Amino acid sequence: MTLPTTLRTVTLPDVPGLGGVYARGAASAGRLAVTRRVGRAPAGLPEVAYEVRGVDVDPTHLTDYQHLLGEPGSDVLPAGFVHVLAFPLATALMARTDFPLSLLGMVHLSNVVTQRRAVRLGEVLDVRAWAQDLRPHRSGTQVDLVTEVSVAGELVWTGTSTYLSKGDSNGESDAGPREEFVAPVPTGQWRLAGDVGRRYAAVSGDRNPIHLSALSAKALGFPRAIAHGMYTAARALADVGAARGEAFDWSVEFAKPVLLPGTVTVRVAADDEGFAFTGWDAKRTRPYLTGRVDPL
Amino acid sequence: MAASKTTTPAAAPRALVLGGNRIPFARAGGKYAHASNQDMLTAALDGLVARYGLQGERIGEVAAGAVLKHSRDFNLTRETVLGSALSAETPAYDLQQACATGLETVVSLSNKIRLGQIESAVAGGVDTTSDAPIAVSDRLRRALLDLSRARSVGQKIAAASKIRPKDLAPATPRTSEPRTGLSMGEHQALTTAQWGITREAQDEIAFASHQNLAAAWAAGFFDDLVTPYRGQSQDGNLRADTSLEKLAGLRPTFGLGLDTPATMTAGNSTPLTDGASTVLLGNDAWATAHGLTPLAVVVDAEAAAVDFVHGVDGLLMAGAFAVPRLLARNGLTLADFDYVEIHEAFASTVLTTLAAWESETFGRERLGLDGAFGTVDRARLNVHGSSLAAGHPFAATGGRIVATISKELHRRRTAEGRPVRALVSICAAGGLGLTAILEAA
Repeated sequence: MTLPTTLRTVTLPDVPGLGGVYARGAASAGRLAVTRRVGRAPAGLPEVAYEVRGVDVDPTHLTDYQHLLGEPGSDVLPAGFVHVLAFPLATALMARTDFPLSLLGMVHLSNVVTQRRAVRLGEVLDVRAWAQDLRPHRSGTQVDLVTEVSVAGELVWTGTSTYLSKGDSNGESDAGPREEFVAPVPTGQWRLAGDVGRRYAAVSGDRNPIHLSALSAKALGFPRAIAHGMYTAARALADVGAARGEAFDWSVEFAKPVLLPGTVTVRVAADDEGFAFTGWDAKRTRPYLTGRVDPL
Repeated sequence: MAASKTTTPAAAPRALVLGGNRIPFARAGGKYAHASNQDMLTAALDGLVARYGLQGERIGEVAAGAVLKHSRDFNLTRETVLGSALSAETPAYDLQQACATGLETVVSLSNKIRLGQIESAVAGGVDTTSDAPIAVSDRLRRALLDLSRARSVGQKIAAASKIRPKDLAPATPRTSEPRTGLSMGEHQALTTAQWGITREAQDEIAFASHQNLAAAWAAGFFDDLVTPYRGQSQDGNLRADTSLEKLAGLRPTFGLGLDTPATMTAGNSTPLTDGASTVLLGNDAWATAHGLTPLAVVVDAEAAAVDFVHGVDGLLMAGAFAVPRLLARNGLTLADFDYVEIHEAFASTVLTTLAAWESETFGRERLGLDGAFGTVDRARLNVHGSSLAAGHPFAATGGRIVATISKELHRRRTAEGRPVRALVSICAAGGLGLTAILEAA
């Protein structure tokens, strides 16, 4: 992924806290609704990239993350932890008034991470984020949020998070009919307690109300709180374990939100290229997430 | 000129099984409901001491363990020794390898005897699911630890304020594999389905286990291997009157969510059990000096582990890999064994292990052999019953098996005057398996 030359880089002093970002996102959603009604909604993506230099890692934060996700307590930062550190910068972009889609209600469709080498506690991180590739989806509009993490000028981690804004479709469907899901032989299951959303919110800072409680999730149209997609993807990455090596591609597609509390039946198994993982609802035989971890 | 010392070792001593003693195994919540691990291990050890006249004796080392162990029992075995009739100068250590704990104490102490580090030893294991340790939640534990480290009033208030009412709920020991979230039964149900093991075959194993154990009790075989405790004089789980019809009538409990019919029931799975066992070990010189008859030699052992986390092999299949390696090292085949003891975690654990050994594909692709590893003569399998009938107090099972089969090896050797061998295989949580060869002394 390379930074498009058309973008102007804005350097922020710190990675923004997500609480404030969501508040601004909610406010800009209101503005967006108003401007859309009067026909002045922004048509393109903000021509800006955000950057924060010199991000330090707090060891206690790392420990809390590792314990929650089942990662070994080493000084290597799990790829999902780097996402947690870097992604608020992308969220801040989505909360800008000139961002064409409303932050609240965005659906995380897929995520692709390339971990080029192990990043260790004590390394100082530079983070950059921008949005690209605004395009139609069968049920709305999708966009990629790209996040890059460098250490002393060396690119070590890249993440591309694809989000869907439902209903604002500005074109026709880009996908054919969905394939029928056939459940594989399970290798395990995640029994997710009702507080998993709050616990991941505590380590990720992502306190989107849809994850926090049944009441706050209902307000946004979900019957119960839902697990963070990146929590489930990171559990799958942890299940792959040390066999992923220090450099790998980690990709995931989210098919359906996991309602909390809930049980995700999983298969995490090696194949010719690396590891494939699937998490599904065993009662209804419907997938929650599928993905891969492939050593580079 | 100073006399030079020689470091040339004498011929390695043999590690001998000289006897064993256990308390009857009781169903969870039964007669040992309020007995602690230390209570039961002391009862089994004192029974051993009384049986072999070891009062006041300084034993080379005692090793034992429990799978479910309270943190206050950090020195369970030493505390047990101090409370027993053995000399207070007997050293001891705790060991834990899930359900292989008991057998691993036998193996590691035998190795010390073979190295000449000790001349005598007691191996053992104990478990209670009735008196299981209950811990506080991680959040409460962390808050309490932070509170104890806090200096100022402000720090103390900050630490205490992190405690939430629901943090006070106790954390009971988990029965599922930490990395997969599946219980042992659910894991074995996957393996059972993979190998196509039938309900009937499993019920036959369970039936034979009860029949064989009942016959051994009736014949007085356990009279010098078991010390009654707390009013329990026989294994509480034994159902001498069970039948294939009764077993067939039980509803399946594991594998209910799979595509294949569920076949594993409470009858062909081990129940939660309380109990303790011990095994007396020594070299020839120590046995002679104490007037004890060697029963069996601990010949060799092999541990294995499988990657069940990524579904490569079933959770309880490590024994299927350990035994071929163990036998190859010793130049033996399955036909060289008069007895095969495969711990009945579930009836299907025995059957999937046998099926793997009989499979050409498994032999070639997983074991790297030219074909199938071999077939176990069912008449030599678990001849005195095993865990399905006796019950399975996790760490105590190894000691039960070693003491029982060592006595049988000695009896058979005395009767027939030829070498007699037994193979022992115990599967354990975490994808572990431990196997050993015993030979009549």
